[in-house]
Amino acid sequence: MSGGYKQQPSGGGNITRKDGKRVAGKQSFPPPGSGGSRPQMAKRDLQFIPEMVGGREKQPAGAHVHDRIRTGTTVGKSMKLVDSNAKVTGQAWYGDDVRLPNECVAKILRSPHHYAKVISIDTSKVEALPGVLAVATGQDSTISFGVLPVTKDEHAMAVDKVRHVGDLVACVAAVDDATALHALSLFEVEYEELEPVFDPKKGLEDADEPIHWRGKYHLAKTNVQKRVFQEFGDRSLIDKPSASNHNKWTMKGVHHGFTEPHAVVAHWGPNGRLQLYTPSQVPHYTHRALSTVLSVPMHQINVIRTFVGGGFGGKSDPFPHEMCAALLSRKCGRPVRITFDREEVYMINRGRHPSHIEVKMSADKEARITGFDIDALIDGGGFASFGHVTSYYNGVLATAPYELGSFHYTGARVWTNKPASGAMRGHGAVNTRCAVEVGLDQMAEDLSVDPIDLRLANLLPPHSRTISGFRITSNGMREALEKVREGSDWDNKFRQLPLGKGIGIGCGFFISGSGLPIHWDPNKFPHATVHIQVDMDGGVTVHSGAAEIGQGSTTAIAQVVAEVLALPIEMIHVRSHESDTSPVDLGSYSSRVTFMNANAAIRAAIGIRDKLLNAAWEMIGYHPDLLVLNDRRIYYKHDPSIGVSYLKALHKAQEDKGALISSGAYRSPPMGGVHKGAAAGLAPAYSFSAYVAETDVDIETGKIKCTNVWAAHDCGRALNPLAVKGQIIGSCHMGLGQVISEEMVYGRTGHLQNANLLEYKIPSVHEMPNVVPIIVESCDPEGPFGAKEAGEGPLLPILPAVVNSVYDAIGIRINDLPLTPDTVYFAIEKKMKAQSVDDPLELESPRLTHSAMQQVVVERAVQHKVRDIARQRSDDTSAYVNGVLFGFDPNIPLEDQVEGWRAATEPLPEQLAELGFAGKAWLKKEQRELEGDN
Amino acid sequence: MLMPPFTLHHPSNVEQACEIAKQLLEDGQQFDWVAGGTDLIPNYKWHINTKPHVISLAKIEGANVISATEIGCMARLSDLTIANGAHPLIVEAASKVASSLIRKNATMGGNLCLDTRCFWYNQGEDWRRSIDWCHKADCGSGSDCRVIPNQNTLCVATYQGDLAPNLMVLEAVVHIVGPSGQRQVSIGDFYQLDGKKKNVLEAGEFLLKVTLPKESQQRTGCYQKLRVRDSWDFPEAGVAASWIAGDEKSLLIASTALESIPKMHDEQVSEALAAGWNGADSVKSLSVAIQKSINPVNNTTLTPRYRKKMVRVLAKRAIEGFLQ
Repeated sequence: MSGGYKQQPSGGGNITRKDGKRVAGKQSFPPPGSGGSRPQMAKRDLQFIPEMVGGREKQPAGAHVHDRIRTGTTVGKSMKLVDSNAKVTGQAWYGDDVRLPNECVAKILRSPHHYAKVISIDTSKVEALPGVLAVATGQDSTISFGVLPVTKDEHAMAVDKVRHVGDLVACVAAVDDATALHALSLFEVEYEELEPVFDPKKGLEDADEPIHWRGKYHLAKTNVQKRVFQEFGDRSLIDKPSASNHNKWTMKGVHHGFTEPHAVVAHWGPNGRLQLYTPSQVPHYTHRALSTVLSVPMHQINVIRTFVGGGFGGKSDPFPHEMCAALLSRKCGRPVRITFDREEVYMINRGRHPSHIEVKMSADKEARITGFDIDALIDGGGFASFGHVTSYYNGVLATAPYELGSFHYTGARVWTNKPASGAMRGHGAVNTRCAVEVGLDQMAEDLSVDPIDLRLANLLPPHSRTISGFRITSNGMREALEKVREGSDWDNKFRQLPLGKGIGIGCGFFISGSGLPIHWDPNKFPHATVHIQVDMDGGVTVHSGAAEIGQGSTTAIAQVVAEVLALPIEMIHVRSHESDTSPVDLGSYSSRVTFMNANAAIRAAIGIRDKLLNAAWEMIGYHPDLLVLNDRRIYYKHDPSIGVSYLKALHKAQEDKGALISSGAYRSPPMGGVHKGAAAGLAPAYSFSAYVAETDVDIETGKIKCTNVWAAHDCGRALNPLAVKGQIIGSCHMGLGQVISEEMVYGRTGHLQNANLLEYKIPSVHEMPNVVPIIVESCDPEGPFGAKEAGEGPLLPILPAVVNSVYDAIGIRINDLPLTPDTVYFAIEKKMKAQSVDDPLELESPRLTHSAMQQVVVERAVQHKVRDIARQRSDDTSAYVNGVLFGFDPNIPLEDQVEGWRAATEPLPEQLAELGFAGKAWLKKEQRELEGDN
Repeated sequence: MLMPPFTLHHPSNVEQACEIAKQLLEDGQQFDWVAGGTDLIPNYKWHINTKPHVISLAKIEGANVISATEIGCMARLSDLTIANGAHPLIVEAASKVASSLIRKNATMGGNLCLDTRCFWYNQGEDWRRSIDWCHKADCGSGSDCRVIPNQNTLCVATYQGDLAPNLMVLEAVVHIVGPSGQRQVSIGDFYQLDGKKKNVLEAGEFLLKVTLPKESQQRTGCYQKLRVRDSWDFPEAGVAASWIAGDEKSLLIASTALESIPKMHDEQVSEALAAGWNGADSVKSLSVAIQKSINPVNNTTLTPRYRKKMVRVLAKRAIEGFLQ
């Protein structure tokens, strides 16, 4: 018998009839196994095989550990996402598409008060209404939960207090929407109103009734949820600066604005197991929280992730409405569905924190950055959510890509009576990054040097350590800057454009996967696990818990498996929807999925590959080292005619065993410092990006229009360049919204005034600039085939790039986001008054004449470029830590070299007086200390 | 979002429509007219001033007519944006309304009768209950105005239609029908200074069409619209101007989205012309005079202070063509 199992009666080949129509049942690609003796095996694509293993793919960053398993099948090739057909044909099943037999609908009663005690809830009239099936209140589960184990401050519904307008009070399940809505009006709730807090600055003060109470860890009687202090480096370096600036920023809160509102279906089945369908980014956390809140073991819950219509961080938390649906389903024994309307989406929020950020920075006479002093007061709203982490990220993610003489950060997150802030694309890094990059632009202006050259002369090299101890591996920052400079024709535009037209630069730095799995010890359990199963048909089923939220994680996993096994991507089937069948995965946050899950998938695929090669060895007699995998065929390296089809090798490998099974896992290496909070911001790799934005400012109205963006992002290696470009362009759109128009507006009564998509102004196609995505590939040594994240980092640079371009256009720095037309207009008017100009068209835009310092930075940048290339290619493997630029020896602990070197996580008593807004939280004592004092 | 149930009526001509209205009035039933529904239906979904009956004008014969001198109430804005005989200024204004998707449904009549808007009012039911309602939709509570507290006699919600100022500067006439017959008013007299009453339509009456004088065809003009995004958004301020080339005295200017009604600025224009037209200087002083004549309040996206400032810029830009 030849050809093994056949999918089609007549083999491959004629899949179209004479009239051009397809023959029913025929596949448009040759059947598996056809590679054996059949001619239609695809040729090996040497363009996509690295030079190091005999291909023609350039490797400027050197060899990679995964080179030997590259087959040239999918990696580096642009391809549509594997789930795109389901989406464009309307067949993807999102949260609200789930329909179970006998399903009922539930509605949530929400608080009309900002802050109040719930005295009593009378549900008798609700229960008496015909059509009502179940009613639940906070008393049905008083167990708290939260996305972070350290800050569990949420309940299914209010147990004692409501903490913002829209907070959940009770819920009701009924036969239809109309009955459920009517039922809501029959609840009788008695509240005792409390004094609400809206201003985060007020949150630092003692209150009669703090919004939450943390017992002995509570900070006096304030509403501070978390305070952070970090100080590293030599503080004496900031004395006598050659340039310095100090800016105070106000950034409004923004929302993810995802298309799909939250929706959940809970079904407590006849066997007593809960099935919960939810469009979650992080189903595993939901799984854990459900288990806690419902007091049911995790193995009795199956969390099914539906398709997710956009997440961006806003669908990461376990949500109270998921608990409500489960509680109601348990009570009425029927599937219960809850679908939010848009207003409810804003009520649950978890968007980017409204922030007050202060940044001081200084440079010395060689234009080295001697200090970043950052103070971030962030408005957490009613609950903790991811806030513990956000409090750190606002500071620590500013410690790169620049080499710093010193770094000082004070951060505080306060509870206020507003919908809770949480994680949003670029979590915690976005606002501070904008403030820092605009400060650098200002510093370049003060030093009369080009801001790109200033940056190029102060970059940390590849394989180095930041001032706070983060391990930088691959680093494409320099290349990104160079590429946008060239692409945008920067040198002929910067400070040379006419009034109203401007160009600006901004950089970004972001984690590629949080190094610390929140729920367990990384030394004990892996971050991600992937199982692969291959049965007789040759199809490869991949079980992964990675949550596809539109970012393309399923495609990335399918791609890497296809690459290792040299199979068409259509033969890879990723199963990732159910917790019953998927190995535990932490989910889609911190830009971890491609890095961690694809690494796990590669390891699992290598397991299958080894089994296939060993089988082929038995069949044709050549050692696996001499065998090549290519398009469903395994053959002898030096004579392709000696080989065996994939399917034959597979069946040989299956003899006596049945289906091939393999498991792979990823865990991050031990890294980072030992100080308090050292794990925050720690990642196995970091992404870098640089954008140049060109903007037109209507001088008379203050309306800004970003026209062009050159966006370079170092994603290590683009597994799927099409997807990476999509992420870059999408990030530009999302970040641009925060710069020009998006804000959650809280009016004078403290109510969110614009909880709808007409008044919450997401940029339309008219506001979208022409984006030129530029992919930089630094080939990360630990990334899957060199890949790093591309989902969040690309958002960061657009904000400062636009703000800096506005300065280039009109010579005005505005430290309030968003730059709405009125904000810009009044800034212009202020400048007109200051310059006694009547007509704004008479204003002048800034110009630049280089100082002697320009030569210094250019020369240093040239030297550093040589240094960076050598380090990137591992030609230079010497140690490098932040501080070498200032003349320190990387091989001796810095505190041993410099007397004033500090690495502290608490302020010195003499520092207390001079701390910024958030720093004021350090003036308060925790309850346990106060008790000690008494 | 679930709309409260209502009965939808589908008259196929004006007489039937009037008959249904008359019957409902006699029965003491409240009702709304609906044309394209892009304004009414969102309000209904938010449970804002919903009524048990809705009479649709969609099937009224001939109500979608478009010509240089006549536009029916059911003329779709998307049809007004393409060359089909309508005045170029109307084409320009219609193409700036909302988004292409909404223009497919929205109508001329609906745009003229647009409900006034206010961020204390255009909110979901729970939200409005949480602020204890407002004067415009008080749900029987007798609530005060939230924009200007301590006065509950006048609603200051803002009229944010785009077509009205443009029809005003083309001197359009509004044709109104109802159970008691037909009447005509100039579009300048159509609006009534109260965000709740909005216009002169009496119970049972609806706007059938607008007609434009033949002379309007000699007019050229310009419409300037201020908004945050160049799609979707209602105007935050709008200024329309028209003139007959070579005829200095013909200048007409109207503004919208600044108060509860769109407004003609005849007074400021005639003052400027009386003072002797002096090119750019006159443009400047006229723009300032128009700016001074309007008083926006804080109930739309952008601040009233800014919107007022922008009137000057919009007016200047609208009459720039007049200079040449």
